[in-house]
Amino acid sequence: MKSGGGKMSANEKLRFDRMQFYKEDIEKIDRILSEFLRLSGAKAALLIDKEGHMVTKRGEVRTIDMDTISALVAGSFAATKEIARLLGEEEFTALFHQGARDNIQLSLVGDRTLLTILFDDRTTVGMVRLYAGETAKKLGDVYAECLIKNEEDGGPELDQAYGDSAKAQLDSLFD
Amino acid sequence: MVQINFALKEVNCKIVFYGPGMSGKTTNLEIVHQKAPESNKGTLTSISTDGDRTLFFDFMPLDLGTVAGMRTKFQLYTVPGQVYYNSTRKLVLQGVDGVIFVADSDPDKLSENIESYDNLIENLAEYGKDARELPHVIQYNKRDLPNAMTVEDLDKAMNKFGVPTFEAVAHTGEGVFPTLKTLAGMVLESIDRMDHRRKSPAQKEAARTPEPQRAPAVRRPAQSGAAQRQRQGQGKPKQGGPRRRAARPKGQKKGQQPRRGRGTPSGSRPALARQRRVAPREDAPLRRGNGGGMNLLIFLVVLLAAGIAGVVYFIMNNPEL
Repeated sequence: MKSGGGKMSANEKLRFDRMQFYKEDIEKIDRILSEFLRLSGAKAALLIDKEGHMVTKRGEVRTIDMDTISALVAGSFAATKEIARLLGEEEFTALFHQGARDNIQLSLVGDRTLLTILFDDRTTVGMVRLYAGETAKKLGDVYAECLIKNEEDGGPELDQAYGDSAKAQLDSLFD
Repeated sequence: MVQINFALKEVNCKIVFYGPGMSGKTTNLEIVHQKAPESNKGTLTSISTDGDRTLFFDFMPLDLGTVAGMRTKFQLYTVPGQVYYNSTRKLVLQGVDGVIFVADSDPDKLSENIESYDNLIENLAEYGKDARELPHVIQYNKRDLPNAMTVEDLDKAMNKFGVPTFEAVAHTGEGVFPTLKTLAGMVLESIDRMDHRRKSPAQKEAARTPEPQRAPAVRRPAQSGAAQRQRQGQGKPKQGGPRRRAARPKGQKKGQQPRRGRGTPSGSRPALARQRRVAPREDAPLRRGNGGGMNLLIFLVVLLAAGIAGVVYFIMNNPEL
């Protein structure tokens, strides 16, 4: 499966390097993920960046340790990327883990995020893969739009008091 | 790479414990996990061999709490230290925001320390990161060894960038938190200094102009380890706590003023921790080219219309033609 957004230009990559996600962008992404869950019958969909931080989530995810699953999914994807490289591929754009009850399908979206789909026997891997492909493409398009818009508008910024507050929080956590 | 998620109101940073095999990276993480408040820590996950050697990484999230409305989290990772696991070590370094280098104070391990530190610099370079710019500290672990090298000797041998150093005995917990606190502070400072916060209204306006003019406006000089060290060294170490050393950059004499960082003019404010590279927009020349072509086309059409109008007027005024 090809990645959703296709090849990003160097300029898009550069802007994406900032890794900032704004509310309206996430709302668009959430709508696409919800539609995907409705069509595919999957349990949950998570969007995780390649560094292992979660971007957003939809579906039945309340009982899952998000931080850990994000880190492990990103690590797993990074490891398979190395395998792909050894085989002469740039990277594998989709991965599938099959369990007795639950399964995970991973699809690369753009260059920096992973669409992680959790599903069980209420649907089939074929259905999930079919809609995952379309969804990855839609998400790629949304990224491209958001990147251009955010570059032009600048987007919101961290509060001016962030640095001082962070220092105070560090003191209270470590002392 | 710091992720700032305004929808979830979260800031996520990645911190990696790096160093040679058996230097105490996993022990550091285990101590953090044991001693951090229950409400601030997540599960400690290890991908290790049967012999408890790290195979891929150890991981635990540490929640700093809500900072200025943003929930700030550190994702703490260790790497496998053995030389032959370099490919997995490199993977864990992807998108790293800060590194704690855990060195072994055993004199027999000095060459492994140096090799691992050089390997860190090399692996960072493969991700386009300069170790001098990335927030990092060195922890001299196993200070309880009877034959431990002196900190001065370790500094001379390893601390080529003059980063903050700490003495630790990780298995007792000594020195673990001060190391992490300082590094976490350096990472948060680098977020605070990210260029988007420092943009003045004039710079924001400049960002809307075509790229060739915009590129120099957002360029920032790089921050050196020396500059970081100078800032970090301003606070006094706590009484009774592990000694935090105000290490000097290599070749600098005691009492001498620290060297300014590369690209940081003397007397200027410390530069950004992260240098944002700005490439010319790929589509900018195309858009300018299209605009110029369109103008020329309009001009030619107007010229043609004027010519036709002139001919028609001439024919109408000369019925004999």
